[in-house]
Amino acid sequence: MSRDSAAPEVRIRDLTVVYNTPAGELPAVSHVSLTLTPGTITGVVGESGSGKSTLALSLLNAVQPPGRIAEGSVEIDGLGDVLRLDGEDLRRTRGRKVGYVFQAAQNSLNPLKTIGKQLLDLGRSHDVEDLRALVADAKALLSRMGLDGARVLDSHQHELSGGMRQRVGIMLALVLNAQVVVLDEPTTALDMITQATILRIIREVHEERALTTLVITHDVGAVAEVADDLAVMYGGRVVEHGPIAEVLGAPRHPYTQGLIRAIPRLSGDISLARALPGRPPTLGTLPAAGCVFRERCEKRMEICETVEPATATYDGRSVACHAAGRPAPVKRREYA
Amino acid sequence: MITGTAITKTFKQRGNVLGKREVPALRGVDFAIKKGGAVSFIGESGCGKTTLGRIIAGLETYDSGEIVIDDVAMSGLSHRHRQPYFRRIQLIHQDPYSALNPTRTIHQTLEAPLRLRARQTGRPRSWVDARAEELLSLVGIDPGYVLPRYPHQLSGGMRQRVVIARALTMDPEVLVADEAVSMIDVSLRLGILGLLRDLRERLGVSVLFITHDIATARYIGDEGELYVIYRGQVVERGSTETIIADPVHPYTQSLLSAIPVLHGLERPGAEQVVPTEALDEAQADEGCLFTRRCPFSTARCEAERPVLGHDGGEGGEDTEQLHACFHPRSRSVIPQGVRA
Amino acid sequence: MTVTVMPDMATGTTRATLRRNFWRGVWRVLLRKPSRMAGVIIVLGFAVMGVIGPLLYPANLPRDDNALYAPPSLQHLFGTDFEGTDVLALVVTGARYVLLTGLATAVITVALGTVIGLFAGFRRGRWDSALMRLTDLNLAIPGLPLLLVLSTVWKFTSPLEMGLVLGLLGWGGVARAVRSQTLSLRERGFIEAARGLGLPTRHIIGRELLPSMAPYIAMNMLIAVTGAVYAQVGLFFLGVLPFDANNWGVMLNLAVFSGGALTTPAALPYLLAPLLAILLLTLGIVLIVDAMDEIFNPRLREE
Repeated sequence: MSRDSAAPEVRIRDLTVVYNTPAGELPAVSHVSLTLTPGTITGVVGESGSGKSTLALSLLNAVQPPGRIAEGSVEIDGLGDVLRLDGEDLRRTRGRKVGYVFQAAQNSLNPLKTIGKQLLDLGRSHDVEDLRALVADAKALLSRMGLDGARVLDSHQHELSGGMRQRVGIMLALVLNAQVVVLDEPTTALDMITQATILRIIREVHEERALTTLVITHDVGAVAEVADDLAVMYGGRVVEHGPIAEVLGAPRHPYTQGLIRAIPRLSGDISLARALPGRPPTLGTLPAAGCVFRERCEKRMEICETVEPATATYDGRSVACHAAGRPAPVKRREYA
Repeated sequence: MITGTAITKTFKQRGNVLGKREVPALRGVDFAIKKGGAVSFIGESGCGKTTLGRIIAGLETYDSGEIVIDDVAMSGLSHRHRQPYFRRIQLIHQDPYSALNPTRTIHQTLEAPLRLRARQTGRPRSWVDARAEELLSLVGIDPGYVLPRYPHQLSGGMRQRVVIARALTMDPEVLVADEAVSMIDVSLRLGILGLLRDLRERLGVSVLFITHDIATARYIGDEGELYVIYRGQVVERGSTETIIADPVHPYTQSLLSAIPVLHGLERPGAEQVVPTEALDEAQADEGCLFTRRCPFSTARCEAERPVLGHDGGEGGEDTEQLHACFHPRSRSVIPQGVRA
Repeated sequence: MTVTVMPDMATGTTRATLRRNFWRGVWRVLLRKPSRMAGVIIVLGFAVMGVIGPLLYPANLPRDDNALYAPPSLQHLFGTDFEGTDVLALVVTGARYVLLTGLATAVITVALGTVIGLFAGFRRGRWDSALMRLTDLNLAIPGLPLLLVLSTVWKFTSPLEMGLVLGLLGWGGVARAVRSQTLSLRERGFIEAARGLGLPTRHIIGRELLPSMAPYIAMNMLIAVTGAVYAQVGLFFLGVLPFDANNWGVMLNLAVFSGGALTTPAALPYLLAPLLAILLLTLGIVLIVDAMDEIFNPRLREE
């Protein structure tokens, strides 16, 4: 395996994705700008309706109708703007440059073909000349993840456990030497111990292959272990983004603060933990003007009703909140 | 009070012409659920915790053993006569999306069991509507908003509250909550857990909480009891707080070590236990069930199976804490909060 | 999130309100696509034709010996037949038999198939095996040869007799499909919850299972109508059933075998008119089938 360049940078600028609904076009992702630093793992955390999966699909320019990328750009080093690619160029990019690992819970593997056949299909569709080398690479990757490569390639999907399938997914995303990898809910529906193993593998493979990795999840815990940076999404916006220890340790956005307070934890005072009031927005219930989080926010001010907060930078991280300027972080001792 | 003794259950999988493959789901499990208590079953998928929960809720049969509900042994009763007992134990499904009939309004969903209840208790029909509103208020949702609506018009959290309200129509003594928050949005999970705690305190309902996420077990109230189940056997049992803070079985320690650390808020436990992964299905049935994956396994573990009980070893001082391990040792595995 | 109570929903949850909301929803679903309205209009048209059609014409349709196989004209829109009777009149008066047969067949097929399928799927075990063997038997009956033999002894003068036979022959497929639907539905959480609550089987089958299968059953019913129309028209076309001038199948038979519609253009309108009627009826039904999913699924209905 050879890698000719270092990990690429990914720059998402002003990305807006709209969905066509009976009520008109509604934005699932609205003016999102996010930079993935080369060689880092960025976690994107969000609840249902936050737009995180749509954002992930945009990275491959794979938003399906009724969705449509309305504006913005996704620039990947050495590739240019992914959103401008189409047809063959775009197809080649997926897999070759950008690898995508589908949700573990989904059956993204073909149930009728062995893993090996699917690997060969992948190789042929990307005009890989040396299929033997491809299979060798795949086996090496699988054994790197603790599996018996030959046996797995001869198996059908139903013969593999959830953790094994997830590893196969990672192998298929990496075997063509993609340098940008997107993992969508990589640990959902996996057991705790399997989840821990998969997270360790993601971290190790990421480092060995010098990747730029994006992990999309609803579970803060699942990214807290592996990510360098954390982006928190709500209602189609990135509301906070920065180094993970900073974002988790001293969150600035009221939503991040509430979310962290709402996670069931093994240690710390139970009585201080509480759920966020209200419920996550859907496309139809998102307010058209002002801050999207204001209805559930304890720091709501008058300005939040009318003006959408701009993203500002506070000690190394970006926050989109009118109240973020005032220092009122979550009390750390709650968890001490 | 509900107790179970030596419950076993074996699933027969469809095999080839030579015979069926037998998969033991429960290997002689004892349990006790006190009135108003909180019992949590913890373990990985396939460990038997859901099967046990369904057996307790009367939705699944068991091969041997005895379940006693309020001093009445179920084995002595016909299927028909067991029903009234099991009706006091209501299951709350994991998936609030499939647990409600999409073609029926919430009013219809609650009305049917309440009518049945009214008939059983000799109450007038007019009681039904009032009770429906009362139950919805009890679970923290606005009856006026919810009653005329269909399930698809409600959020996951609201649906789960409706499911709980429906379970309460039968005035149950036990609520069996099977992964009741795993499909709920993270920001709302504590709300559901808090509701279960509330119902314990206000109605004296016992909660049997089945989950793979140990942390959630802490949030259903005080005096909780934890059962750690591995491959159909209870391997550790004791008070929730004690087991989380001071686990002695290597499997419990592995589960706790696997819980992600929130960097910036926590630092990992000092002695994390990483088990060998069970990628091979054909696991030994001799000796300790965990021996193949256990980092501390010895020759004795491979030859003999430990039973759940007290042991002279460390952690044995707490008489409430039981374990099935020859080499119990308390290890500090859970993440600790970082002091500000 | 602010709670907005929709006024029409908050007013009541009585049966009457629900029914009103349901029909309002049906109307909305039909309006959503023009094709559905077209389907409804076509089917309603045929229904009207079947009910009052025969009343518009005298019992014995007038003949005009001077205009045998007359070409289409203002007086005879689809020309005349071999004895100078207006073809349109024949089609209109013939609709009742065809439609009644279709309806009877559909009702019997769906009623039998649903009951047997539901019972087998819900009870499982021995009942299931027994009922499914019965279903296999039904599926294995060679329908056409049996009908040919039956028609030699039975004249099928009433459309209901025809419908009864076709229905008894055709329920097997529905039963199998309903059974498999039941099997998968009974594992769903809400059915299990109903059992856990101790609700009577009557309630579980009638109020929980059946409504979930309603779109499916309704589709089967509509499609059974078209199947029955084809089957009986086919039988009459083959000429195994008694001659009756204003029957669509007989018309096709006469047009082809006596009128030579396939070789001479004179009898072509006589052939095309019943064909067109069958085609239009099928089209109408297919267009409506498309709406069934949305009508019986509250989510799709309310959207």
